[in-house]
Amino acid sequence: MAFDYQLHQTTSSSGVPEVDFSDRREMAPYLDLPQAMYVGAPGKHGYLRLGFEIDPDGKSILRDLDRRAPLIVQQALYFDKGMPEMPCVYILSSGGPNVEGDRYQQDITMNRGSFAFVTTGAATKLAEMTHNYSGLSQHIVLKEDSYLEFMPEPVYPCRHTRFISDTDIIIDPSASLFYSEIFMGGRKYYNGGELFEYDILSVCSHARRPDGTPLFREKFIIDPKMVNPRQLGIMGKYDVFANVIVLTSKAHADKIYEATTPFIDREHSLACGITHLPNDAGLLFKVLGMEPGPVKAVVREFLSKFRREVKGREVPEEFPWR
Amino acid sequence: MDPQLTNIMRLLQFTDSTFPVGTFSFSNGLETAGFENIVTDKATLRDFVKSQALQAAFTDGIAALAAHRAFKREDYPAIVEADRTLILCKMNDEARQMLRRMGKKLGELAVKLFDDSIARQWLADIRQDTTPGTYPVAQGIAFAAAGISEADLFCSHQYGVVNMVLSAALRCVRVSHYDTQEILYEMSSEVMDLYEQVKPLEIGEMHAFFPELDILASLHEKGNMRMFMN
Repeated sequence: MAFDYQLHQTTSSSGVPEVDFSDRREMAPYLDLPQAMYVGAPGKHGYLRLGFEIDPDGKSILRDLDRRAPLIVQQALYFDKGMPEMPCVYILSSGGPNVEGDRYQQDITMNRGSFAFVTTGAATKLAEMTHNYSGLSQHIVLKEDSYLEFMPEPVYPCRHTRFISDTDIIIDPSASLFYSEIFMGGRKYYNGGELFEYDILSVCSHARRPDGTPLFREKFIIDPKMVNPRQLGIMGKYDVFANVIVLTSKAHADKIYEATTPFIDREHSLACGITHLPNDAGLLFKVLGMEPGPVKAVVREFLSKFRREVKGREVPEEFPWR
Repeated sequence: MDPQLTNIMRLLQFTDSTFPVGTFSFSNGLETAGFENIVTDKATLRDFVKSQALQAAFTDGIAALAAHRAFKREDYPAIVEADRTLILCKMNDEARQMLRRMGKKLGELAVKLFDDSIARQWLADIRQDTTPGTYPVAQGIAFAAAGISEADLFCSHQYGVVNMVLSAALRCVRVSHYDTQEILYEMSSEVMDLYEQVKPLEIGEMHAFFPELDILASLHEKGNMRMFMN
């Protein structure tokens, strides 16, 4: 069986892959061009390529790094006390918030046996927009026996934000991935609050095996003008939403599932749930809360279950400034 | 007999709560929502049912319409694609089990009701585990085989979701049958708009954002309450 880890993408004249979501139906109202800098202008078309591998000494390293402004990665650090041998990477953006017409692509490849922790340096703010949208395309490849913890800081949409992302994951059955996203309802304390006043968030994640076998596809579109996110069953009274995808072997997934107890904590307005993904791909874990801190803490506690089961190692306490 | 009347009779038959396998109940997480004091009265029940209906419309509803259209143009691979895509996009484990159990039951009934090669092929593939056999796809096949329109299929599907939850509500939420019938009547007036939104969507456009429902389903999945299946 020939394995296909290729991304099959179109490259622009600037040498970075095209990021275009104009064929998505939900973005049709937001295709008018920005009146300021054009789509794809230098500094508005960020690209990041990270490739991890095991070096001849058996150390997991960031071997491949390519980047285009405004995305920045400088070097891997080894600061995780629970796994001091693990490279940790902060993705930074020199451009401040994502603005209209911005396009980003992030490609991460975990070569055989490598392991890494990838996060962002701070929350990602999605600016107020009047024209067009901001788009993010991600490709994550995990080869045999590799391991990735991908855990960015929360995303903050502002009033009239239009944001779309697509995350394509190719994962070998022997590899493990912890992939989390945290979405704020908006800037809760700014100018009287602007929760759920964005125009649209469209987020899609899907995974397949190297031989092409599809594993799952989760897409959510939040369009507050169409459906009120405050409706019971959607966000209800909650302001913050975390989504965690765990892709790992069935044996690992079953143990993590058993070790995880869903709850609704009325006193602290916090809730979480877990279920199995289709095709024995792994687990899906969701958290709702009022503030990012407690939600991040629940996600981190879930990460500790994942790491303990897959790597037999502990997650250290979070840095106090995070 | 007027063929239109035959179609109405069949629509009623296929929409009845005892179709396709007799009486059983799924609460779709309502049992947990009642226990957690999230659904406590008519107003909260109405919102809960609306979320369930929306969730179903943009996932199961799209698959059902795709299967109905594929049946009519005798495109069996497209039926299988709708079936597989729905399972890929259905994140809740108990919901996947429910769809597959009910789908297989309807598939078994369909080969008795219709002398149809597509229905036979689909049931054979379910038994050989080469297609998941989901209920919305079974509905698409059955309604098309019976000559019922896709708009009627969509209404029947929505009615099934709403009525299932409202029936469960009479046993686990402090509401009366007046309340549930008023909710049902009110929601009927919204189904046309919903159909118009779902109608143009392709099978690859399924989407759902109902994290509170997902968490309730998870609590039920790992809990001990079993008045209803989820």
